Amino acid sequence: MKDIQRISPVVFKSTPSKVEKRDNWDVVMEYSGEGDGPYLVDLSHRPRFDLQSSKLAAIKPFGLKLPEIPGNCIFKKGILANRMNGIQVSVLNLDGQKDSSMPDEAEYTDVTDSTICVALIGKNIFSICEKLTALDFMDLQKKAPFLFQGPFSHVPCQIVTLSKDSDNSGLILTCSRGYGRDMINSILHAGEEFGLRPAGESRFTNWIKA
Amino acid sequence: MALTITCPICGKRNGYEFRFGGEEKGPRPDEKDMTPEAWCDYVHMNKCVAGIQEEWWFHKDGCGSWFKIHRDTTTNLEKEAQEAKK
Repeated sequence: MKDIQRISPVVFKSTPSKVEKRDNWDVVMEYSGEGDGPYLVDLSHRPRFDLQSSKLAAIKPFGLKLPEIPGNCIFKKGILANRMNGIQVSVLNLDGQKDSSMPDEAEYTDVTDSTICVALIGKNIFSICEKLTALDFMDLQKKAPFLFQGPFSHVPCQIVTLSKDSDNSGLILTCSRGYGRDMINSILHAGEEFGLRPAGESRFTNWIKA
Repeated sequence: MALTITCPICGKRNGYEFRFGGEEKGPRPDEKDMTPEAWCDYVHMNKCVAGIQEEWWFHKDGCGSWFKIHRDTTTNLEKEAQEAKK
């Protein structure tokens, strides 16, 4: 039997210099000429789950205690859990090395293949975001990591700010898969004046470890 | 006129992120002995208040919540529940 082929909805024009086959995805580890940042990294191959239950307090995905207040996030051991509302949490496995299988319980839905996931890391990323959304990432009352659910480039998105450090900031953005090409196009266009370039997964892995 | 709406989860946001869900009409009427005319009135007849009314909104571009707010239809401004009761 032939293996399934999983194709990322995110396509960059840059030339990949190092590619790895993982879980039927072609994962670009590095692009040629990545520059000095900021970077846009495709993470669409990283496992993502939608968790819905009326008893979220009793559920611990990957051993993680879920945040209680909508808008709050927890990032531990490579797992990011975002509380969306009273009954819903999105779970992102950002650790590429860990077991990516979905928990068996019926409350989980695998959304890896139906959404895109990209990371914006480096300096000036919030200046880029300001051109595309009215959401206030620099709100002093919000402590990273935190979740925004709202329009980004007119598309309903989930955006998690992981770090607000001026030179080393980072955020994760997910939205429906169908918007992939146009979303990437608009982010790269907005980031042109700041030197935004596509980068491979290694860049994100190193950033998150630091 | 710019409209902002306060979502109970996401906070104050641009009105374009939301979908209007109609006037608050109280609980669904009891189906026992209900006439088609009474049901039609409940579904379709609105008060269309020129002033403060309670209404439903849906945060379609955000968290997906349905919630109620008080809005002054003459100024398009949101009102606090206490202020609306005056």
